[in-house]
Amino acid sequence: MRSDTMSGGYRQQPGSGASETRKDGKRVAGKQRFPPPGSGGSHPEMRPRDLDFIPSTVGGKEPKPAGDHIHDRARTGTSVGKPMALVDSNAKVTGQAWYGDDIRLPNEIIGKILRSPHHYAKIKSIDISKVEALPGVLAVATGADAPNQFGVLPVTKDEHAMSVEKVRHVGDLVACVAAVDEATAIQALSLFEIEWEVLEPVFDPKKGLEDHDEPIHWRGKYHLARTNVQKRVFQEFGDRSLVSSPHAASEGSWTMAGVHHGFTEPHAVVAHWDPNGRLQLYTPQQVPHYTHRALSTVLEVPMHQINVIRTFVGGGFGGKSDPFPHEMCAAILARKAGRPVRITFDREEVYWINRGRHPSHISVNMTADQEGRISGFDIDALIDGGGFASFGHVTSYYNGVLATAPYELGSFHYTGARVWTNKPASGAMRGHGAVNTRCAVEVGLDEMAEEMKVDPIDLRLANLLPPHSRTISGFRITSNGMREALTRVREGSEWDQKFRQLPLGKGIGIGCGFFISGSGLPIHWDPKNFPHATVHIQVDMDGGVTVHTGAADIGQGSTTAVAQVVSEVLALPVEMIHVRSHESDTSPVDLGSYSSRVTFMNANAAIRAAIDIRDQLLNAAWQMLGYHPNVLVLNDRRIYYKHDPAIGVSYLQALHKAQEDKGALIASGAYRSPPMGGVHKGAAAGLAPAYSFSAYVAEVDVDVETGRISCTNVWAAHDCGKALNPLAVKGQIIGSCHMGLGQVLSEKMVYGRTGHLQNANLLEYKIPSVHEMPNVEPIIVESSDPEGPFGAKEAGEGPLLPILPAVVNAVYDAIGVRLRDLPLTPDVVYKGIEKHMKKSGIDDPTEMPSPRLEHGSLQPILVARGNEHDTRDRRRQRSEDTSPYVNGVLFGFDPTRPLSEQVEGWREADEPLPEQLADLGFAGRAWLKKEQRHMEDDA
Amino acid sequence: MLMPPFELHHPTSVEEAVSMAAKLMTAGEAFDWVAGGTDVLPNYKWRINPKPHVISLASIEEAHSTSSNEIGCMVTLDTLTTDPSIHPLISEAASKVASSLIRKSATLGGNLCLDTRCFWYNQGEDWRRSIDWCHKADCGTGADCRVIPNQNTLCVATYQGDLAPNLMVLGASVMLIGPHGERTIPLNEFYQLDGMTKNVLEEGEFLLKVLLPDDAGKRIGSYQKLRVRESWDFPEAGIAASWIPGDVASLTIASTALESIPRQHDEEVTNHLELNNNSFDINSLASELYDVIKPVNNTALPPRYRRTMIKTLTRRAMKALMQEE
Repeated sequence: MRSDTMSGGYRQQPGSGASETRKDGKRVAGKQRFPPPGSGGSHPEMRPRDLDFIPSTVGGKEPKPAGDHIHDRARTGTSVGKPMALVDSNAKVTGQAWYGDDIRLPNEIIGKILRSPHHYAKIKSIDISKVEALPGVLAVATGADAPNQFGVLPVTKDEHAMSVEKVRHVGDLVACVAAVDEATAIQALSLFEIEWEVLEPVFDPKKGLEDHDEPIHWRGKYHLARTNVQKRVFQEFGDRSLVSSPHAASEGSWTMAGVHHGFTEPHAVVAHWDPNGRLQLYTPQQVPHYTHRALSTVLEVPMHQINVIRTFVGGGFGGKSDPFPHEMCAAILARKAGRPVRITFDREEVYWINRGRHPSHISVNMTADQEGRISGFDIDALIDGGGFASFGHVTSYYNGVLATAPYELGSFHYTGARVWTNKPASGAMRGHGAVNTRCAVEVGLDEMAEEMKVDPIDLRLANLLPPHSRTISGFRITSNGMREALTRVREGSEWDQKFRQLPLGKGIGIGCGFFISGSGLPIHWDPKNFPHATVHIQVDMDGGVTVHTGAADIGQGSTTAVAQVVSEVLALPVEMIHVRSHESDTSPVDLGSYSSRVTFMNANAAIRAAIDIRDQLLNAAWQMLGYHPNVLVLNDRRIYYKHDPAIGVSYLQALHKAQEDKGALIASGAYRSPPMGGVHKGAAAGLAPAYSFSAYVAEVDVDVETGRISCTNVWAAHDCGKALNPLAVKGQIIGSCHMGLGQVLSEKMVYGRTGHLQNANLLEYKIPSVHEMPNVEPIIVESSDPEGPFGAKEAGEGPLLPILPAVVNAVYDAIGVRLRDLPLTPDVVYKGIEKHMKKSGIDDPTEMPSPRLEHGSLQPILVARGNEHDTRDRRRQRSEDTSPYVNGVLFGFDPTRPLSEQVEGWREADEPLPEQLADLGFAGRAWLKKEQRHMEDDA
Repeated sequence: MLMPPFELHHPTSVEEAVSMAAKLMTAGEAFDWVAGGTDVLPNYKWRINPKPHVISLASIEEAHSTSSNEIGCMVTLDTLTTDPSIHPLISEAASKVASSLIRKSATLGGNLCLDTRCFWYNQGEDWRRSIDWCHKADCGTGADCRVIPNQNTLCVATYQGDLAPNLMVLGASVMLIGPHGERTIPLNEFYQLDGMTKNVLEEGEFLLKVLLPDDAGKRIGSYQKLRVRESWDFPEAGIAASWIPGDVASLTIASTALESIPRQHDEEVTNHLELNNNSFDINSLASELYDVIKPVNNTALPPRYRRTMIKTLTRRAMKALMQEE
């Protein structure tokens, strides 16, 4: 009986319980009972333990194919693994979520930005007198008001709030104005009088490698000659002699257009200096902490005098992770005007600030030996950075190093260069730096498989790195669900009945993906050993759990993930967990939502804090019940003795006991990734505490008479370690498919013959509509990562990677034409068809032959090796085999001795040898130039 | 995005609309007509040739009427797709315009009088300033055309309406009305080069209704629209064809989205039928159309490709006619 369990319990006011009901049975006013102790959430009764969601390793029924996990003992079967709507979804679907432009402060005024009409020009003078004289204008600012530079990466701070000396692309910020209303602000923009000296712009990234009179930025003694090269990378690992006489090879040169995130919400910011002189800045940011730092630098105000308030974010995808100049502008204008200033972008401005995926020229040459082992990847990536560095330093590495897995390689050679051009700046976008090269690599493998007369899936299965291994560049692979992902899409898509067997115009293709789950080395690492993520939990007498985190929910569900893991550990319904994550004043520093780090790092920190609270509760229960925490069970707002559930206390009773003499329980948890990786230059790029793996099969219809591609079906397997929320994971997989399909089929930032961005709007920037969406069958692979929160890894970015190559390979299967120009718009496909017809002497495209496959002698060898490796991988995943494994074992090397001792010519280099210089690719040519400091040495 | 200010007028009858236009003309005030607003208003937001006055046709009852051979200019594209009295070819074409949301507002009159489009022109004000404007919206600078540089006499912006070629091949006429009275002309004479002139509408005149001949009901037709996405996109090329089944001589073909105006290709079709003794060869007919249509580079897909597709679209339209027969 419930009333028994709360005898002597909780009443609205003191007094005996005898008079709580009148003689006529009605309640006496003021004598109602509180809900019974331990209540909360929507169910008054305790639910039975959900054994299906308690790991088998701790007595439940949830299968654990990878064995024990460090967090298994914190599982209560409450939330983890259960599909649930995101905790902020009600706010969003009822229109109550407050996005950047929803902020309305009393007395706000409107800011507008004056943008450059020139690609590249020096500002000789700016006369603002007429602007200031316009009635209604309350503040005007130019570059001179904020000369301090900022940038998302500490090594490449090359941005100003507004251009100081010169503008670097059409749409670059020149000045800003705040006025009583938008119409006045727009009018004011026409009153600036500016004297320009127009400079010769650079648009073609290949030209960016050449010397110029006026490089777009100047890096002093580190500047590379007089070029526009922002960053160059050289990496070489392994035995290069392996590539000299290949059994099979593929060479492909790709042109990939730049793409934009296409998020729904345009950038918007509100800045307000409060009566105490502190800046309150509202902005839809993925990385509020970097904005916080940059504001401090630009405004010359200490960080503690700035409160960055992250509004709801209407889509980010990497495009809202830089500190932005308009955020600085709003703060500067608000400081000058003494009133809150709001700036909201038009869509055109969104494209001008850009930070989308880099337009790229990528070539991938690869070779395989007679045993079907991949003897070498040779990658050259020239990427077009636009006017600013943004994340480009990292992108330059990612284009190469994120191709070093999931396959075991004989050797790896990468040259990369990022150049500045007079276009809007490229930056980080979902799948940062990995997407384009991944596409090129996976298509290369398809081509090589065809040359070897083997099935491309079997080629992959016979060359995978196992769980708990090291890549050729020194990345530590822990859990690895690549093999399972490949196997499941093969089965799901009925690959063996379709591949190279479909009629003309219908095709099926495979693509894999590999992505970081959090960046092992944070962008800012000061102060020393600062954690990547910190989470605070506070529980007061009402029993509600307030979680403070700085993780920015950008729609990916990070708030829900935090609520879920805390709910899981404390065995409380999710609705009792209240996540507070918007303000830098109250949120512990979190490094932001990028590099797919949030679930991994932030949930890990949250689990630690929750375990601390749990232990405080269990100790209180120990005092009350006399049973040691080791034999106590937490389940749905109750703590009880393992062998007799009748002996227990409610959650609230335990909580109140724990609170005696100290009040609210508080705990802090933090996460910092372990030290790992190599010591070569750039070794930190691509390092992650865990990696995700994915494999997709796509089915397409190609209209051979128009070149239009329609993707009809996708089987999408993604290894996310453990799906904390399977609904959210599926959503991420389907959303990634949509985004990747856009890049492969129709999206591109079109720069016309004059260098102008021709399609800065959502009509001409062609994001696929619902009609273009295939049926996507999401397949969740759970490899249980040993360091992930409850085994989880990322699911936000990795799932984008495989869709591009899967579609490109499917198009080849459909029409027999290899296309290497993305996106595959109808004109590009048709041009390929025309060329193919001319070459094969066919007049009618409907009479083209479809590619067919007859397995060669290598096929059974690969199948046998794949099967053997399957056993190997299972043993390693379950830790039955804990022997070291490094890339190279497949080639017969001993993993316990340094490879350089075993192979003559084994190289691990971050600079080319002089004799290599002549043979480097496009980007590699950046190595023909010298840095200024070395030129001075020569002089 | 803030629209520039304008005065909106709501006449409730054709006469009031015409006299309102006449009054503004006398006063020397520029104005635009607006029906559904899905073309005019986005252009205004981009500050493309905005006017101080806008006269809405929405309150004119006569403009909303539909029957099998008369359709008012205010009839929405959504109605065209669902009303059973509408010719199936018109319904098919209307259903391919933009998205279902836009079709709820967009109208027949607006679609026929659609402003021509060009990626140097359909841009925001800052953007157009950065190219020093263009011939079609020169802001008083006398700027050159950006598609064909070094000339400022011809505008080659592309007409990208879907309905016009379909109404043409059904033999439609349009009733125009203005201060100088009303006139009815065949739709294929309505359009007039170039991309700025667009059509024969005189100042103060508007398109009140579309009239279909009695034999339109006997015609069957096909519309082939080329676009990148199945929704939202304007046609990158469009071919409409129709005939009265069993009567090859009744064949008509029209194209859209390939030039500054939609065109009915009577001459090519008649010549072809004459040369082939009142029969036709699909491939050569398609090639003959290919020869006379010359798109320029101002839409999403390159002109060479769009031109090549004339052959495919024509073949497909003809095959569809033959299949339906």
